[in-house]
Amino acid sequence: MQSILQKQYEALEKKLSPEVKELMGKWKELKNKYEADFFEYTVRGKVIKQQINTVSLSGTKIPKVVLPAYKDWGDIVQWQMQENVPGEFPYTAGVFELKRQGEDPTRMFAGEGGPERTNKRFHYVSADQPAKRLSTAFDSVTLYGQDPAYRPDIYGKIGNAGVSIATVDDAKKLYSGFDLCDPSTSVSMTINGPAPVILAFFMNAAIDQQCEKWIEENKLWHEVEKIRKKKYEHQPPPVYYNPSSPERLPDGNKGLGLKLLGLSGDEVLPRDVYEKIKAEALQQVRGTVQADILKEDQAQNTCIFSTEFALKLMGDVQAFFIENKVRNFYSVSISGYHIAEAGANPVTQLAFTLANGFTYVEYYLSRGMHIDDFAPNLSFFFSNGMDPEYSVIGRVARRIWAKAIKYIYHGNERSQKLKYHIQTSGRSLHAQEIDFNDIRTTLQALYAIYDNCNSLHTNAYDEAITTPTEESVRRAMAIQLIINRELGSAKTENFIQGSFAVEALTDLVEEAILAEFDRISDRGGVLGAMERMYQRNKIQEESLHYESLKHSGELPVVGVNTFLNKKGSPTLVPDEVIRSTTEEKEQQIENMKAFQKRNEEKSAEKLDALKTAAGNNENLFEVLMDTVKYCSLGQITHALFEVGGQYRRNM
Amino acid sequence: MNNKPNNKIRIVTSASLFDGHDAAINIMRRILQSKGAEVIHLGHDRSAHEIVECAIEEDVQGIALTSYQGGHIEFFKYIKDLLDESGCGHIKIFGGGGGTILPQEAEQLHQYGITKIYSPDDGRKMGLEGMIEEVIRHCSFSLTAASESWTDALPLGEKKDIRKIARAITLAEKGESYSTILAHMKGSDRTDIPVIGITGTGGAGKSSVTDEIVRRYLGAFTDKTIAVISVDPSKKKTGGALLGDRIRMNSISGPRVYMRSLATREDNTAISKVAKDAIAICKAAGYDCIILETAGVGQSDMSIVDYCDLSVYIMTPEYGAASQLEKINMLDYADIIAINKFDKAGAEDALNDVRKQYRRNHLLFTAANDELPVTGICANTFNDKRVNHFFGLLLQKLKEKTGVLWDDALPNSSHAEDGRQDAIVIPPRRVRYLSEISDSVRAYNARVNEQSDIASQLYQLNGAIQILKTLPEMK
Repeated sequence: MQSILQKQYEALEKKLSPEVKELMGKWKELKNKYEADFFEYTVRGKVIKQQINTVSLSGTKIPKVVLPAYKDWGDIVQWQMQENVPGEFPYTAGVFELKRQGEDPTRMFAGEGGPERTNKRFHYVSADQPAKRLSTAFDSVTLYGQDPAYRPDIYGKIGNAGVSIATVDDAKKLYSGFDLCDPSTSVSMTINGPAPVILAFFMNAAIDQQCEKWIEENKLWHEVEKIRKKKYEHQPPPVYYNPSSPERLPDGNKGLGLKLLGLSGDEVLPRDVYEKIKAEALQQVRGTVQADILKEDQAQNTCIFSTEFALKLMGDVQAFFIENKVRNFYSVSISGYHIAEAGANPVTQLAFTLANGFTYVEYYLSRGMHIDDFAPNLSFFFSNGMDPEYSVIGRVARRIWAKAIKYIYHGNERSQKLKYHIQTSGRSLHAQEIDFNDIRTTLQALYAIYDNCNSLHTNAYDEAITTPTEESVRRAMAIQLIINRELGSAKTENFIQGSFAVEALTDLVEEAILAEFDRISDRGGVLGAMERMYQRNKIQEESLHYESLKHSGELPVVGVNTFLNKKGSPTLVPDEVIRSTTEEKEQQIENMKAFQKRNEEKSAEKLDALKTAAGNNENLFEVLMDTVKYCSLGQITHALFEVGGQYRRNM
Repeated sequence: MNNKPNNKIRIVTSASLFDGHDAAINIMRRILQSKGAEVIHLGHDRSAHEIVECAIEEDVQGIALTSYQGGHIEFFKYIKDLLDESGCGHIKIFGGGGGTILPQEAEQLHQYGITKIYSPDDGRKMGLEGMIEEVIRHCSFSLTAASESWTDALPLGEKKDIRKIARAITLAEKGESYSTILAHMKGSDRTDIPVIGITGTGGAGKSSVTDEIVRRYLGAFTDKTIAVISVDPSKKKTGGALLGDRIRMNSISGPRVYMRSLATREDNTAISKVAKDAIAICKAAGYDCIILETAGVGQSDMSIVDYCDLSVYIMTPEYGAASQLEKINMLDYADIIAINKFDKAGAEDALNDVRKQYRRNHLLFTAANDELPVTGICANTFNDKRVNHFFGLLLQKLKEKTGVLWDDALPNSSHAEDGRQDAIVIPPRRVRYLSEISDSVRAYNARVNEQSDIASQLYQLNGAIQILKTLPEMK
């Protein structure tokens, strides 16, 4: 009897794949690892030792990661292959073993008026944070790649709903006082159409900050002053001036990045020194540029160049990143947020976004880049609303990405790890009973933190009616701080793992995404589907579905279509809205004009060089790194229109 | 609704400059269409100048705009100013921007002469339909003879008086006489103005091709003007029409281009009867070249040839079996056949099939490929080398057929080798990448289930073996 069983056992064992055998073999070891007091793991070659428990007020030892108590090997295999601990394939529970200590995933959005005003806001929101995680909103003039101007249809939009940035000097002011090459600083920029130009502004600002530090160390400011004097003999130099608080730099800003305002590092330093500083700075900067042109065409409409040229520019940025070892900066933030805001449900949001991501992968591969050279530079950005699927959006995204990158594209572990920023849903906030909005945001933030997001923005409750104030933004930040620092269950980093509901939902959503992939594929892939306006139509349909359910009351929205107060919970209208001032607008226009004027001699030549490079199909981002020293955003955009074509709108 | 066919309401709709929020305006324009209006939809991110130029050229009664990105005060006032300066203060302006436009700001705009800014409260009180009905009521006025004030400087820096041209076409549409307006125009006696007809199936990309022709024309002939007349179908049921050609175009806003969108109205054809008048009016106005673009046509439609000196048939590689080509009348009559979307799978086959059919139709069995006026193009690729070639072919045919040749040499852009290659983002052999991924993930999941079943059985067997080992009778 025993030998029959033994034989059967041996025969079956042969059917186990080596991969599975290994997982089974290592299970005990893995469990032990999480039962110790300290946990060791390596990040980019560095061994990190972290406490694996926290102790509650009651003295209970709360584990940060809890493993299942399964006994059946089948359950254990299933769990390891579909769930696994955070930091292990397929990364369902998270891409890192443990959350980074001393860095909350808080990232707050700011942008208003001129660069000086936004700079002040940045210093305000990051004042007590050890990690400076800045997120930049640009005004619509900048988003469409144009310069501020007195023409009325442009004028009124300068510095509204975002910051006005037209030149590299504006970028220097915007991030002044933050060391852009410090590992604890990370900057995100929400810009798409003109993203390569703005990114070149940013990179130059970062490089010039490092140049400033070098000049300081080598006590060479007197030499720089000579050059400045000569350059500005007949014209006023650019200055940092905030009309609303003219007396000084904001608290926290010690002036880094302002000493070379109006000068480029390469104008004042020897070539070899500058090149060395530049190379180092590029390897150090940390952040994200949105630059996701596919979702722009599908949902958000801030395309400015022909789609194909916009993709080429994105590819150029990525190729430049590889060439220059820009490892800590995401060249794209593949975004579902705007798809969801435009009305898509969470399944569609995730399916379209992942599909867009794989499209970039295919495009970069077709340009000859290696998967492991670029995949780590890709990041994602999702919206988090109230629907049940939002509780697993990160889990499903990580799992599908990891499986595809491993088995289709043969990328390494780092490439398999999908990292994402998430923002609570702006669309779920309402202009009625706005006090209730913080409750919605709190629940959504909880979904996001339980789902192990890498970065989180919580919306302010008054966003549905106006530009958030410092007070409302502070409350929004408090939401995540309270969850992260006060809420006990959030001390466990895989708190939702092992829930039957969560596991079942993960499987359901995963299959729904795959089914959507098939539908897109049947339409010729993402680009083919876009041509038929498949994505736009689907988003519109889903938006309509939501609106009609909300209207009929079938979808209850508290304080909006149910639980109304005695006055009927009317829509609130703000008495006053924060708008940029005349002084700020005019300052932006005049600064831009002065910049154009002092670079008059060089700009035409630089724009020609850019156009020639486009004609020769060279890497345009590399050229832009130089062009932006002499040309404004609008000048560059118009030059690129000539060689790359304008975006053609769709019905 | 008193909206008789001879007093059609035409409205321009758009989202404002640097503003991509087009959901609301799209809903509004659909309701406008359903109420019988002819809507010229510009999409989003349009400047005040572009919108006003469009409104004048299209001779509309109203402009409906949304603005969600701020700067609405300046934007709406500037639209009003430009209209007034152009002598077109009769055009009504409507707007909306949800909660971004404060009530006191709306009031300020009303006082400035903006007809109505709709607030979310208006939406709730009147309903969307009610709002649109009000817009239509405001716009229900008749456009009559040209204004006497239209004598001063040309509006918006245009080369011609687009107001008069537009009004003459409107009178033609109403079946009224426009000869008084025409009498004042120069260039009436010119006979060297060619009319290029562009036709093809719906969705073949006619508007994009027209735009690409205009762009190249303006670049090649820096002092010449051009008029575009574009036809879209009216809906039988509502009488409304979506005139959607402008949204695809980037080259038409400028002093040297006039564009007019026509709805077919009661005619059941691809070309409005008024097109003949419109062409005559543009000729009278002295435009150097005229393009007539039809609505999407069926296989048998060849009406374009009666209207133009040179006809172009635009199709895509997706026409079905080669035998379908035998049914297309335009393959007999078109001077040029362009297969657009040439980056699509099967494009080369399509080109071969169409050439074969062309040879048969024209008994040109021995002609070489490049002697045939059949070409592949990619109008959506910027500066596409094939479109450059096509443009050269167009000029050459124009010379052959009409004797019109503006320059001795063909413009530079017609040299095919100067253009861009087909833009291949995803190589054709990789086009099924998403299905590959879904197959792979599903296969992984199946493998997990299978392996986990095996592991479970092993666990059970192991358990049984262990139990057997402990049983005394087994020892």
